[in-house]
Amino acid sequence: MTVENDSLRKQIKEAIASQKRPTVTVLSSLLAIQDSIGYIPNEAIEEVAIAMNASINSVFGVASFYPNFRFTPPGDHSVEVCWGPTCHLLGAGRVLDEVLEQLGLEDEGDTPDGQVSFRFNTCLGACSRGPVISIDHELYGNVTDTQASILLRQLKDNPKTS
Amino acid sequence: MADKINLTIDGVEVQADPGSVIIQAAMDNDLYIPYLCYYPGMKPYGACRMCVVKAEAPTPDGSYRPLPGSPASCTTPISEGMRVETNTDELVSLRKGILDLLISEHPHGCLNCHRIDLCGPTDVCLRHVTVNDRCVTCPKNERCELKDTVRYMEMELTTPLTYNNRHLPLEVKDPYWDMDMNLCIVCARCVRACDEVRGDSAITLKDRSGRSIIGTSQGTSLLESGCEFCGACIDVCPTGALVERDYKWDKAEKKVTSTCPHCPVGCQLSLDVSKRNKIIRAIPERTAEANRGMACYKGKFGLDFVNSRKKIDKPMIRNNGVLEETTWPTALDFISEKLLNYRNGEFALIGSPRGTNEDHYVGQKFGRDVMHSANVDISSNTHPEITKPLGDMTGRRTSTSRIWQLLDTDCVLVVSSNITESQNVVSVPIKQAAANGTKIIVVDQRETELTRYADIWLRPKVDSEIDLIGGFMRTIIDESLEDNEACQSCGEFTEFRNSLWDYDLTDIEATTGVPQDEIRNAARMFANAENASTIYGLETISPQIREHCAKAIVNLALMTGNIDNGPSGIYPMFKGANEQGARDLGACSEYLPNYVATGESAVGMTNLIESLNSGKIKAIEIVGDSPTFDEDQVGDFYKAFKQSELVIAHDNFESALTEIADVVLPSSTFAEKTGTYTNLEGRVHCVNPSIGPSSEADEEWRIFSQIAQRMGASGFEYRNSSDVFVEIQEKVSSYTNLDLDKVKKNGQIMRKENQDFQFAVVTRAEVSGDTTNSEYPIIFAPGRVLQQPDRDAGIDTSSDKNTITRTEIVEINASDASEHGIAEGDNIKLEGQGFSMNGIAHVNGIHKGMAASTSLFGSLVEDLANSGDNDPVLKSDSLRLRKVRIEKI
Repeated sequence: MTVENDSLRKQIKEAIASQKRPTVTVLSSLLAIQDSIGYIPNEAIEEVAIAMNASINSVFGVASFYPNFRFTPPGDHSVEVCWGPTCHLLGAGRVLDEVLEQLGLEDEGDTPDGQVSFRFNTCLGACSRGPVISIDHELYGNVTDTQASILLRQLKDNPKTS
Repeated sequence: MADKINLTIDGVEVQADPGSVIIQAAMDNDLYIPYLCYYPGMKPYGACRMCVVKAEAPTPDGSYRPLPGSPASCTTPISEGMRVETNTDELVSLRKGILDLLISEHPHGCLNCHRIDLCGPTDVCLRHVTVNDRCVTCPKNERCELKDTVRYMEMELTTPLTYNNRHLPLEVKDPYWDMDMNLCIVCARCVRACDEVRGDSAITLKDRSGRSIIGTSQGTSLLESGCEFCGACIDVCPTGALVERDYKWDKAEKKVTSTCPHCPVGCQLSLDVSKRNKIIRAIPERTAEANRGMACYKGKFGLDFVNSRKKIDKPMIRNNGVLEETTWPTALDFISEKLLNYRNGEFALIGSPRGTNEDHYVGQKFGRDVMHSANVDISSNTHPEITKPLGDMTGRRTSTSRIWQLLDTDCVLVVSSNITESQNVVSVPIKQAAANGTKIIVVDQRETELTRYADIWLRPKVDSEIDLIGGFMRTIIDESLEDNEACQSCGEFTEFRNSLWDYDLTDIEATTGVPQDEIRNAARMFANAENASTIYGLETISPQIREHCAKAIVNLALMTGNIDNGPSGIYPMFKGANEQGARDLGACSEYLPNYVATGESAVGMTNLIESLNSGKIKAIEIVGDSPTFDEDQVGDFYKAFKQSELVIAHDNFESALTEIADVVLPSSTFAEKTGTYTNLEGRVHCVNPSIGPSSEADEEWRIFSQIAQRMGASGFEYRNSSDVFVEIQEKVSSYTNLDLDKVKKNGQIMRKENQDFQFAVVTRAEVSGDTTNSEYPIIFAPGRVLQQPDRDAGIDTSSDKNTITRTEIVEINASDASEHGIAEGDNIKLEGQGFSMNGIAHVNGIHKGMAASTSLFGSLVEDLANSGDNDPVLKSDSLRLRKVRIEKI
């Protein structure tokens, strides 16, 4: 009956309402929210459930099925290393090791300070320039492990961009 | 039913219903195809692939065309002449491969232990199997479907320790329900039962591929996930992943099918009884027509009271103010001697809604024939107006259609009835129908679970329902939407139609506070539906106008031709488990057996208190079953009982009633009784003794007959309950068609009396709408829903039990708010008689003079689970309107 309104819920509602596509579904709403605020908070699941007349559990079932949805706020920067076959053959392994070491991670995830969200990518679509890494959705081709290391250091010196 | 389809399964020629799938056809013919994810009554899912078969269908030229591959028999529809092989070497090897994969994530030392046939249930193995894998560490030991399937497949599991343990923590913080996802085989039966069958979706399949597992959104507690604690997921789980917490490790020594004593649906439950003579589990019967495999939180988790050690086990007589244990003969002699002094209208007999038909019949016979008193009733009969008008106008004393016919209706109107809690299983077909497009109209001041499913929820001012229903009927007449043929065939149509001219919609908008357009829309929705059913419980309606309100509701059903027309019907919703039987057999103050009116003078529940206070009733015998008096008046009842000279109480437990009783007789619970219950459809079910007599408690019919015999009466020489039933059949015409064998098997519907339908003129009552007084000026409508996604549920998960900690939001009207100096978001306090609640004010468009709040169903379940009461379900909080005052704190 009563909605405990806070700005997050408002933002979520706007994201759901602003969808232009002809069919609005649970999935499209989740995507709209992730585009808008970068992740799927609890409130988003609840709001999508209300908007789509589904239960929160069904919505969560959908959201958790797709690894692209994240349930925690993303880091300030995103780093993705391509480990598609081409990049792999061209030496992505060394780049990857270097990036992981620099970030202090062992696998995909966020750095403990919340600065960087790191993910593997199966293909960034620039095979001719492999190995490729993407920093804040900007592609860097033909990277070596040293270059990757420099790029990451620059990232650290240059905290939160937007 | 269309013609059956013929097919051959493993060389056996069988017949099956068209549209069914191969595995169902096999099941219907007692043939077994191994399966794990399929479950009768649910949609095929095709997940486990255990039920693969080879099939071939005939072609027009007479040859057979094999179906490609090995189709799953649960998703393959049957066709005429089909030939199915279920057990070829190839299929067996396929199945073994699938099972191998399945149990690669399931502890299975229990499945291949070489002592599997040697061990008894009490043996504890020491070294054959590691601790985690032992059969005794699985709560589903000996009733595990996975184990049965593995053994049927004769799997050679030579490497017991090579499974991948998921190492997931057990979830044991929610009431009644334990979950061990290390045992789950992800068949998704539970998810489907919750979603498809119950319409709740309180659990879901999380994640995907190898990590996929059952859970709730973000791992929240069931208290907020929308769970109604019906246990349907537990009932379908093929492994030990989902189990009832109570008596988790106990084994069933025997199974007894009996009828649930909690509400008039009469769910058939298969009760597991342990060797310690306790009911350890209740599993709803899938084949029972009343509940079709469904139960609710009461039937599933609310039967433990029968196992209590606090039950009264000996008769007691009060001597110098103290109850002293005595023997049956002494107690009965004492009673029969005492009662001789009150053989007239000074005696009243109040039965229990949990009494069997036999108890009711012998009780009323004793009261009327031996005690010469018309004052016979049962304690739940506080709303006799629910069924009386229906009987007067249509001759029907039960619901006119069956519960599961609600599935086929196009529109359901629910008036002032919280069926999702009070008669839960009735709400299951409604929710399923709603998912298939059936329109739901709810008329209620309270926000109940069903308002969530409603296409139209009308929230009229208190006690303005007559006007609202009148507004429906006026719209129907104005727009000629009535069923003319049906109207003409009922008596007094002209008078009835003329009476509707009083119902002016503009005026009704003012009295009900519901906009005209909404009333019109709802009326159109109801009248235009091919089949529309009405459910009414009159729970929020004041006693003075209940009868008129019920008449108006029946009028509406009659004028739209919705009684005796296909699946549509009208369902009066009373609360007592066997209240229907009590009325049929005359154990109520309005009727003798066979619905012969008793006349005005009889004392019943509605006027018991005043009769006791005025001294009209001097002796009273009450079958307590831990009394179920109207919560509002419990105090008044006990005060009144003290006025009488003699109080004889039959009860299971010591209670406020036994404290004032002069004689206390131990009464059997439903689990020790043999007899019959009649449900709200008029279906007669058997009550079978599941736990043998553990004390000297006895059944009411036997107690009454013994007292009667001691008082010199004849006609009470019953040897057993069947003798009583035979006499009931002689005396009560609607029971004459019953065959005790059929009743025992699956219940049987009693004969319906045919009578011409009559309209009743309902004049517009002066809507007082103001039953409040200056001390308590506001009417508070409590609501309860399963889930509130728009609010933070406030679950505390830190302790070993999940608890709800949130502060409720109270809706109030703007003018009431300003009158009390309350602003949005203020902390306020509601106070009424024996009631108090704090909340946060939310000023919105609710009617002036009303306040409403909605809590989570989880909080009720939490209360029940933590209650120290012997029989907590019986005293659980119903959602009735309360008079309160509000203040800012």
